[in-house]
Amino acid sequence: MNKYSPFLLLGLLALLPFVGLSSYMMHILILFLMWSVIGIAWNLLSGYCGQVSFGHAAFFGIGAYTAGIFYAKVGISAWWGMPLSIIASTIAALVIGYICLRLRGPFFALATLAMGMILKVIAENLTDFTGGDIGIMLQQRTWVDKTGYYYIILAIAAISFFVVKKIVESKLGYYFVAIREDQDAAESLGINTTLYKTIALCISAVITGIAGAFYMNYMGYIDPKVVFALHDISIITIMVVMVGGVATYWGPVVGSLIMVMLAELIRSIPKLGEAHHTFFGVLLILIIIFMPNGIVGDFRKFAKFFGVRRAQR
Amino acid sequence: MKRFGIMLLIVSIFCLVAAPVMAANINLVIPLPLTGKQAKFGEIMKRSYEIAVEEINAKGGVKGQKLAISFEDSTGKPEIARSIVEKLIGTKKQPIIVGEYTSACAKAVAAVAEERKTPYLVVASADDNITQQKYKYVFRQNAVNSHYSDGVADYFKKIVKPSTIAILYESSAFGTSGAEAMRKDAKAMGIKVVVDEKYEAGSVDFKPILSKVKAAKPDVVYMVSYVMDASLLMKQIKELRIDAKQFAGGAAGFAIPEFLQNAKDAAEYVISATLWTEKLKYPGAKEYANKYKAKYGDFPSYHGASAYASLYVVADALKRAKDMQPESIRAAMKATNLMTAFGPVKFEDKEGYQNQNFNDTFVIQVQKGVFETIWPENHASKKYIFPVPTWKDRR
Repeated sequence: MNKYSPFLLLGLLALLPFVGLSSYMMHILILFLMWSVIGIAWNLLSGYCGQVSFGHAAFFGIGAYTAGIFYAKVGISAWWGMPLSIIASTIAALVIGYICLRLRGPFFALATLAMGMILKVIAENLTDFTGGDIGIMLQQRTWVDKTGYYYIILAIAAISFFVVKKIVESKLGYYFVAIREDQDAAESLGINTTLYKTIALCISAVITGIAGAFYMNYMGYIDPKVVFALHDISIITIMVVMVGGVATYWGPVVGSLIMVMLAELIRSIPKLGEAHHTFFGVLLILIIIFMPNGIVGDFRKFAKFFGVRRAQR
Repeated sequence: MKRFGIMLLIVSIFCLVAAPVMAANINLVIPLPLTGKQAKFGEIMKRSYEIAVEEINAKGGVKGQKLAISFEDSTGKPEIARSIVEKLIGTKKQPIIVGEYTSACAKAVAAVAEERKTPYLVVASADDNITQQKYKYVFRQNAVNSHYSDGVADYFKKIVKPSTIAILYESSAFGTSGAEAMRKDAKAMGIKVVVDEKYEAGSVDFKPILSKVKAAKPDVVYMVSYVMDASLLMKQIKELRIDAKQFAGGAAGFAIPEFLQNAKDAAEYVISATLWTEKLKYPGAKEYANKYKAKYGDFPSYHGASAYASLYVVADALKRAKDMQPESIRAAMKATNLMTAFGPVKFEDKEGYQNQNFNDTFVIQVQKGVFETIWPENHASKKYIFPVPTWKDRR
């Protein structure tokens, strides 16, 4: 990947709506970009900083509910949820970080998993505030046409991509990697590990929260089971990055391409599509066995398998 | 290059399979949960759609054209349900959408259908506010959740005459609005709600809640649950020997054959709200039920009947519509007045709902391991058994 390829891809994606894609294709593209954003966010915390989170649905849900609650209770447009979710997710990340970041490795993972579940139960039971299981429904979405949504999520994806890239290439990024490789060694070198882990968590949470707020605006309906879902959000987030490539810039994007587009493609095949879970499961197993670093991480292996001989750099 | 060749072969096989299999006149793709937690309901409905389409085609189809249906698995996720519907409306130009099961998915589909001005017939999603959004293109054939309990409430009032009630419900849109409806009914009848507990859907141990119920000694226990929870609740009630004048369920998990299979003798005497039973005197109800049973070994639940009837409703609307444009189909749907195996179908605007079919709800009771319709009495297939013997006196 050379220096200009991100801009090239961005330009291509920005031109896509002019090709005249069907509303269905646009929907899939929007979902693909949304999952890229969540993947990028998770990748910063778990890929670069090494703090594996199993509860990113917590931040996704907080973002979605910030938009939803302000819409339903205050009566302002759900789009305000995007800036407001930054505040809400940061506060949530600080609280969750204060509790969970004391723990390491699997214990942190389990604590975040629990956090996601706790927030779901909270959202289910604060019925006066969140509407409980009935959820929050937008009376009318902003646009029928999808181009607007597409550009918004594309902008979010591009900004998150470059922000994360900048962070990882800065001093902060080296601190993160140092913490991932050996927390004690990092500490002994004078890195304030708690502080930097909290920073990673906050940035990751904010990006995820914005994606959540976007989801509220785009889908027009949320309930606790949908946005705080362990399997459908938290685990898929992990899969997106694992399949694409942990701690790579392009990993989440490629992963999301596979998890959203390929999943949709396989599901839509008549007859065979009924077994889409099996298909997809096998595919994931193959990727994990033969490409443990994900498609981007093990791209050379991948290229070799297809018989493509490229000039190795 | 050899490997590349193999890959090419695999891809080409893939494409071959992916090529359109059917080429019929009117194609309907139905989104359904065929995997995941709601798959059981999806399966019942899928089979029923298939039976219906066979019959409709045998009778000559719609305007001389044959109806062909296929299914897409929405896995119970709203964004996937939306993907499917976006494709149906945007790419396949399907003029009418039928299907889905969970309320969350139905809401996602309804919003798209309304935006794109394509009629959508909701078949079995019960959450009240789907038809309260002033949507013009969304029709619902099944009763709203707040009416599900009407039959049971009536039975309580006339036969059981309880003074206290315990309400247990799962945390979902369906559970919450079902419980809310019963709370209102209880208040109207002057029944005191002594236990009002929500539980996490898919729990394995209900004993903490049930011991509360046991301590409160309610006259009746009303439960709103999906499949597994319903039978587990009754089993654990039996284990804890909780005695009440009547155990009642709010449709869904209590009204499908799996409840009988899983709960076994614990299910005996339990009553449940339902929208349909195979013993109703609606034209075609018995034939459909028998056909289903002959094929799959069980009687279908009201979900199946609603799915079965929905295709008749759609076929009828398509016949009456002056062309295949969504707008004319919408007009035809609005004018629907059809007697189906599911009961009379007519889409009305009242009580704050739009395009809502208000059908009667019934009460079924498990008697000797089978569902019998017991209420209202003019539809009853067997007389109700009341009082219910205590656990100690059974057998």
